Amino acid sequence: MAERTVKIEIKRQSSPDSSPHWDKFELPHRPGMNVISAMMEIAANPYTADGKETTPIAYDSNCLEEICGSCAMLINGKARMACTALVDKLDQPIKLEPLSKFPLVRDLSVDRSVLFENLKAVKAWVPIDGTYDLGPGERIFPQVQEERYPLSRCISCCCCMEVCPQFNESTGFVGAATIAQAQLFNEHPAGKVLKEERLHALMGDGGIQECGYAQNCVQACPKQLPLTKAISDVGRDVMVQAVKDAFTR
Amino acid sequence: MATAQRPVAPTTHRGVQPLRAGQGNSFLLRKLHSLSGIVPIGAFLIEHLISNFEALKGPAAYAAQVKFLNGLPFVRVLEWVFIFIPLAYHALYGVYIWARGKSNVIYYPWSGNWMYMMQRWTGLIAFAYIVQHVWRQRFSGVNLPEHPGAAFHKVQMELSHPWMLAVYAIAMIATCWHFSYGVWLFAAKWGITPGDKARRRFGFVCAALGVLLTVIGLASLYAFVGPMYKNAPADLSPAQIEQGSMAPAPAGAQVPASN
Repeated sequence: MAERTVKIEIKRQSSPDSSPHWDKFELPHRPGMNVISAMMEIAANPYTADGKETTPIAYDSNCLEEICGSCAMLINGKARMACTALVDKLDQPIKLEPLSKFPLVRDLSVDRSVLFENLKAVKAWVPIDGTYDLGPGERIFPQVQEERYPLSRCISCCCCMEVCPQFNESTGFVGAATIAQAQLFNEHPAGKVLKEERLHALMGDGGIQECGYAQNCVQACPKQLPLTKAISDVGRDVMVQAVKDAFTR
Repeated sequence: MATAQRPVAPTTHRGVQPLRAGQGNSFLLRKLHSLSGIVPIGAFLIEHLISNFEALKGPAAYAAQVKFLNGLPFVRVLEWVFIFIPLAYHALYGVYIWARGKSNVIYYPWSGNWMYMMQRWTGLIAFAYIVQHVWRQRFSGVNLPEHPGAAFHKVQMELSHPWMLAVYAIAMIATCWHFSYGVWLFAAKWGITPGDKARRRFGFVCAALGVLLTVIGLASLYAFVGPMYKNAPADLSPAQIEQGSMAPAPAGAQVPASN
């Protein structure tokens, strides 16, 4: 009996400006393997299916357990995490492509710094610098904690932005992840001091108004963040703030 | 003293640009677009469909409705401020929104994504239809504000072309679809229905609204092309309009059995 193999096709591109091509790989099947473990083998033994030597594939990954958010890519055309993409559950040949809406670095590795810039723009943090003792923090009620915890699960993988029809170069839409993080810190007893600034930031060009509510974000999110609820809640807060501004500023 | 040259960061921007906090006025423009779809445009759509429904009572009742609307105080101001200007804004900004969205329903065939695409297509259909509808029915041919009695005949002539009837029927469905899903989107985006259950429940409400409006609209179309009021007179005198639905049926029409 022939040995069972796994067929993988990877879209390669050696630099941001070079043109892409596809490489085909074939490797022995092992039970429970996922796309990341397959890519590790390909990178360690860079020979294509027809035996030609090639450069080792480049990809981002770190934790291998869907916590770090590094290994998001298009797997059979859909944005998802490579570490939780089990080979046995995928149609073969498995086609791997880099995320399409982020500047390409090399092969499957893309530059997702736009999310970091967006998180900075909405001040997605609790403003405590630790230079002096502020005393004990305010109590967080369990009801608030229950609302906030799901939002805190975001791993910054950018899947929600990749699948969003409004996240593109003409709108410059901020994307669901940043809006959810703005909500997370608006609900924090110390973080809410920046709530108004966050809401003002989200009124800028590319802000929350660009959302078309296609709801792809919530479908694609590997961590099941309630992204559509967050957009709705923040949308109301931004609107209330805008009306307040119109009458009081 | 020699100083090492710092590597210059590449200036060409690649990819989607980050949030422009505090810049631009797209928030105001987009929210005006959203609101204008509900009031005044949505409110006008409902008024228009209800008024059209009068056609089922015959040419005189339809003429009376046209006469009533054109008798409102400041009617020309109302028409421009609450209908034409908001409609033009909503349509043009809507085209701008459509042009900048990159639909990906082929890769992600999820229901919300389908509705996103449908909202854009129904909007475009409605826009194209409304341009010709306003031109042909309001600004060319018999001037209905001056001759309300000619309203039924004018519409009947228009709908006598089968392809024009098809255009009206398709546009009726598209417009009612666009409005009812627009109400749902409004509630979702303005934070009125943030919860999954609330959005789901309101989805049923909006679907029912859409079906109801479509049925009302298509029924009114039937009044013009059905057997009840065939060959309506080209104009009705004020006296005939006064008599309303009690007026004798126009020549050539079959008398409805219920009368």
